[in-house]
Amino acid sequence: MSLSRPANDSLRRAGVWLLLCSGLLAMVLTALCWGPVKISAAQVFSAIAGLLQAQPLDGANDWIIRELRLPRVLLALLIGAGLAVAGVLTQGVFRNPLADPGLIGVASGAALAAVAVIVLSDSWLLHWASLTGPLALPLAAFAGGLLVTWLMYRLGTWRGETQVAMLLLAGVAINVLTGAATGVLTYLADDQQLRSMTFWSMGSLAWGRWPEVAALSGLILLPLLLCLRYGRALNAMLLGEQVAGHLGLDVQACKRWLLAAAALMVGAGVAVAGVIGFIGLVVPHLLRLLVGPDHRLLLPMSALAGGLLLLLADTLARNLIAPQDLPVGLLMALIGGPLFLSMLLHQVRGRMG
Amino acid sequence: MNTATPLLSCPPPDSHLIRQTAVPPALLTVANLNVERHGAKLLQQVSLALAGGERLAILGPNGAGKSTLLKCLSGEIGDYRGHMEFGRQPLQHLSSSQRAQRIAVMPQHTDMLFPFRVHEVVAIGRTPFADEQTSLEWQRQAMQLTECWHLRDRRYPGLSGGEQQRVQLARVLVQIWQALDQPQRNNPDRSHLLLLDECTSALDPAHQHSIMNAVNRFAAAGVGVIAVMHDIALAASWADKVLILKQGKVAYLGGREGLNDPRLLALAYDLPADLARRYANSNQLWCQ
Repeated sequence: MSLSRPANDSLRRAGVWLLLCSGLLAMVLTALCWGPVKISAAQVFSAIAGLLQAQPLDGANDWIIRELRLPRVLLALLIGAGLAVAGVLTQGVFRNPLADPGLIGVASGAALAAVAVIVLSDSWLLHWASLTGPLALPLAAFAGGLLVTWLMYRLGTWRGETQVAMLLLAGVAINVLTGAATGVLTYLADDQQLRSMTFWSMGSLAWGRWPEVAALSGLILLPLLLCLRYGRALNAMLLGEQVAGHLGLDVQACKRWLLAAAALMVGAGVAVAGVIGFIGLVVPHLLRLLVGPDHRLLLPMSALAGGLLLLLADTLARNLIAPQDLPVGLLMALIGGPLFLSMLLHQVRGRMG
Repeated sequence: MNTATPLLSCPPPDSHLIRQTAVPPALLTVANLNVERHGAKLLQQVSLALAGGERLAILGPNGAGKSTLLKCLSGEIGDYRGHMEFGRQPLQHLSSSQRAQRIAVMPQHTDMLFPFRVHEVVAIGRTPFADEQTSLEWQRQAMQLTECWHLRDRRYPGLSGGEQQRVQLARVLVQIWQALDQPQRNNPDRSHLLLLDECTSALDPAHQHSIMNAVNRFAAAGVGVIAVMHDIALAASWADKVLILKQGKVAYLGGREGLNDPRLLALAYDLPADLARRYANSNQLWCQ
C-alpha cells in the first residue's frame, strides 16, 4: 500500500513504457542473434534488409534468420500479446485478478478441439476439415475456447456476481474433463499424429513459419486492437455490472464481445503453439503492481509485455539445452505456478483477515 | 399475505400529485407502476411526483419493494407496467448514455478487488462524459464534499467500509456535478436525478449527517434526490417528502411530519404500539 503522489505515478508509467519498448527491441535482436548457430547483429540487419527488399536468399545464415528465427520471433510476440491481453479481458470481465484463461479451462478447451481436429480429420471430422481448409485448426480451437468460456461464465456467475472459488474449481473440473477426452483421442491416434500431439500439448513455438505468422496476425491483432478501445468500459465494469449499467454501458454486449475476443486470441495461439499457460496471469499481475489497474494503460502495456515475456521464455527454451528445443509451455508453468499460488494465498488470506 | 391489512387512510396519491405539481413543474412523475417477478407482485400501483430540488425518502420494512422502485427509476428493471416521466419525456425514451449523463445511482455497496487508487475510482464517475482528464477540479471538489480528499492516493480495497462508501458517493456525485456548476432549475431537459440506496448504512452519525448535507447541495441546485433509507430518524431529519412502501403498495406519501404519527409507523412496520410511539416521539424532535 504505497502512498506515492500521482506525479510519481505518471513518472513511473513513462518509465514502464520506456522499459517495455527498449526491452522489446533488445530482446528481438538477442533472439535473432542467439541460437545453436551464432549470428552477428550486422548479419541479422542485412538479412532483414534483404527480406524487406525481396532479395533472394544468400547463404545458410540468411536462411536461418529469414525462414526460422524471424517468423518464430514474430509468432512469440503475437501469441504472447494475445495471451496477456486475453488474461486482462477475462480478469476484467470476471472481476478477479486470478481469472486466467489457462486456469479456468479456456486454453484446454481450445486444445481439446484442436487435438480432435488433428486426430479425427480423416474420419469423423472430415467435413469440418474439408470445409475450413487451412483454418480448420484455429477455428476449432476458437470454438472450443469460446464454448468453455461460455460454460465458465454460466457456472461461475450467480446474480451478476462472479464467485471466484466456483470459477477456479469449475476450471479444475473442466481441465480434468478435457484432459481425459484428450487422453482418449491420444489413445486413438496413430504414431505420426501422436508425436506431433505430445510436443504440441506441452506448448512450443518450434513449428512457427510464415504461413502461421500470417494467419495469426489477423486472428490475434484484429481483436487485440479493437479491445484497446474498451479500457474505460472495463474500468467501469470492475465496480460491478450494476454500476457499469448506471454509468451508461451496455454491459451484456460488452461482456459478450470481450469474452469472444479473449477466446479468439487464446484459441488462435493454442492452434499454432499448443497450451502455454500463465502468461495471462503473470503479465497483468506484474503490470498492475507497477502501474495500477487502469485498463487504458493495462491493455496496451500487457500486449507489449506479453510478447516480451514469451519471446524471452522461448529464446531461453531454444538455447538452454540446445540443440534440443525445450517446450516453452513447460518453462512458463515452472515460472507461473508458484506465482499463482502466492497470489491465491494473498487473496484468500486478505479476505479472511 | 394477500389479506393485506387496510392501510392507514392518507390523502389519495392523485390529489397529492395535483397539489404538489401545481407550483413547480414536476421533474419526475411515476404513475401506476407495477412490477411482477415469478408471480409475486413486487410493486402495485405506485405513483409519485417529484419536483426539481425536492428530497424524497423511501421507507418501509424489508422486502417492501424499495429497491425495486429504485431499480425501475435507474433503468435496471425494464419490464414494468405503468408510466414514468422524467424531464417531460417518458423515462424509457432516454438512451443508456443519456440516462447516465442525468441520473446518478449510489448502490448499497460496491466491492472491488483491484487496487485502484481512490482518485481513480472517483474519476470512473465521469465515464458517461469521457472527460476524466478535464474534470479534475470537479473530482477534487466531490472528494472534499464527501470527506475523502485525504484518502485520494490510498488503494480502494484497503479502505474501511465507511470510507469506501464515501468514495463511492464522491464517484456518484461527480457523475452529475455539472448540475451544480450550471443549475438548471427551470429547464426540464437539463434536469438531474440522484438515486441513493441506503447510502449511509456504513457511516457513523456524524458522517451520516455531513453526507446528507453534501447531498443537500445538489437538491439546492435543483437536482431531484430520492433516497431509500432504513433509518427513520435520518429520514425525518432530512427529507422534504416521505414515501412508505408496504408489500409493494404505497402506505404513505406526504410530508415528513407523517413520521410523527405512531399509528402510521405501527402499521407500516408492524411495530408494537409502545415502540411506534417512541419512534414517533423521537421523529418529532428531528422534524423540528
